[in-house]
Amino acid sequence: GCGLPDNCTNRDAAPASWRRDLIAKKKERKLAHANHAQRPLLIGICTGFIAQRGRYKPGAVTDMSPAGCPHVNGFKVDNWKQNLRVIYQCFVWTRKRKAKSCICHMCGAHLNRLHSCLSCVFFACFAKKHIHEHAKSKRHNLAIDLLYGGIYCFMCQDYIYDKDMEQIAKEEQRKAWKMQGMTRTHTQRHTHHVKAKYSTWEPTKRELELLRHNPKRRRITSNCTIGLRGLINLGNTCFMNCIVQALTHTPLLRDFFLSDRHKCEMQSNSCLVCEMSQLFQEFYSGHRSPHIPFRLLHLVWTHARHLAGYEQQDAHEFLIAALDVLHRHCKDDNGKKANNPNHCNCIIDQIFTGGLQSDVTCQVCHGVSTTIDPFWDISLDLPGSSTPFWPLSPGGDGSALNGESHATGATTLTDCLRRFTRPEHLGSSAKIKCSGCHSYQESTKQLTMKKLPIVACFHVKRFEHSAKLRRKITTYVSFPLELDMTPFMASSKESRMNGQYQQAVDPFNNDNKYSLFAVVNHQGTLESGHYTTFIRQHKDQWFKCDDAIITKASIQDVLDSEGYLLFYHKQFLEYE
Amino acid sequence: MSKDSQMRAAINQKLIETGERERLKELLRAKLVECGWKDQLKAHCKDVIKEKGLEHVTVEDLVTEVTPKGRALVPDSVKKELLHRIRAFLAQHATL
Repeated sequence: GCGLPDNCTNRDAAPASWRRDLIAKKKERKLAHANHAQRPLLIGICTGFIAQRGRYKPGAVTDMSPAGCPHVNGFKVDNWKQNLRVIYQCFVWTRKRKAKSCICHMCGAHLNRLHSCLSCVFFACFAKKHIHEHAKSKRHNLAIDLLYGGIYCFMCQDYIYDKDMEQIAKEEQRKAWKMQGMTRTHTQRHTHHVKAKYSTWEPTKRELELLRHNPKRRRITSNCTIGLRGLINLGNTCFMNCIVQALTHTPLLRDFFLSDRHKCEMQSNSCLVCEMSQLFQEFYSGHRSPHIPFRLLHLVWTHARHLAGYEQQDAHEFLIAALDVLHRHCKDDNGKKANNPNHCNCIIDQIFTGGLQSDVTCQVCHGVSTTIDPFWDISLDLPGSSTPFWPLSPGGDGSALNGESHATGATTLTDCLRRFTRPEHLGSSAKIKCSGCHSYQESTKQLTMKKLPIVACFHVKRFEHSAKLRRKITTYVSFPLELDMTPFMASSKESRMNGQYQQAVDPFNNDNKYSLFAVVNHQGTLESGHYTTFIRQHKDQWFKCDDAIITKASIQDVLDSEGYLLFYHKQFLEYE
Repeated sequence: MSKDSQMRAAINQKLIETGERERLKELLRAKLVECGWKDQLKAHCKDVIKEKGLEHVTVEDLVTEVTPKGRALVPDSVKKELLHRIRAFLAQHATL
């Protein structure tokens, strides 16, 4: 591609100066490729230029601001600007399209691309040519499309683009959008706080210059391996390498760092976020030789003392420590220091932080005390551990939804999640002070998900460190490629409590659906072991990252692996 | 106007008044982007422009060429969901 925005279909969003630059650049390219046969330039062209027949002079670098057509001059008299503004405000950029008045004056239809005559009060459909009849009989040459605001000239027989009229259209649209942003919230299913209309990216003059001077373009094909890079083991550092592989392949995190969004305010050279940024640059540089993460290791030792030393550490501990340091070194969107755990809006919190709801129910008065705590990962107990793991009957909610079979009797991830979210009787030795009963009573406690993070990390507790023994539990846990977290949500639990046991699964609700994108595995024993990671590229390709060695893996390889840390990414992202 | 078109007009009026038409449009927009329909049509538009030549093609040309394809490419699941929503709406406003 030529690097120009491939997405400017909204002609209203592009200012005239950018169009000038765009055409100038295209002319340059065209002149440079003079040997090639004349081909129409298509990439990144606004529909605006399609209409400018007769105005487009190939080869000449002219001022290409939209000059409309000669027929608008008849319209541009008296108080035309104000009149036009009123039309845009009341009939075009309005959500509450006046049902009664916006119909065709000839046939009464609402749809059929309704247009309004610009010279008199007359609405008519375009599709049935009613507005054309009006234009002919009254000699009113101009009409406006009530849906998109385009101005049609019946003499030119096409939509025309006049600079002044475009300006008015855009201003009114921006005003209307701002107003609607305040009132939109209660009409949507989820609250939307629309502050400004989304407009597609347009290159600035400087960016166009840079693009011109750097003609080399990098294309991502479906089988390119950019983003894959091995990591040298610096002495039992596979616990760090495996997490780095998972993080560098977390899509949102990758996008954040590759678009240079970190503005560092730390004075010293010890910002872990900066180092992370560097790491992404290394991974996406295209170099195939393994990277040596000595700076990262040093920073980790500096900021997370408990992980220092050349002993093998726990990958899960490293993940939490790394997220913690990154979170501390980040600034949130408002530029405030990420000190307040409840109000941080840094990229780490945006991606990884979920809310875990804990409900403690008094067995006597049935009063419920609820707290919500943030979490970065969910640690799941396994059967065979010293904590009681109650085998659940096959089927029931959760497993049918996530397509797992119990034929082999293998424990599944959803089994673990069901156990995690089941009500637990706290026992007579752990009475809680009930605010309803004003005394200590026995109670049950239940954990559910209140808010799901964009990236959900499940930690399978394979390493047992109890007073009696230290061992690794190697029970195979089967985990799915796609996971639906709906049964484990706080809202689902409430529905169950209200008697809606067999909740109809809403196939249209995509909020809680996740896809697996990274799996960290541990081979060996507690004393000596090795970590590797499976990561996902290009939707369906998986690769195994074993320190410096990257090999292609099959989906089956991934699903057959033991599973220690499982990384899932939300399938559908919502605007907040 | 026939009884059919009278009914259609009444339903449309109700949809607009209650704001349901806007909601349905937003839903449809989101679904069509999600399933890649918008991108497919954009590509088709580019092909049409290539064919007709930049200097000669009009908006009408595009509309004529693209409308039938656009209609055909809407996935069944999207149609189903919207029908479901409209039916639910009609059930609510049974007095029509």
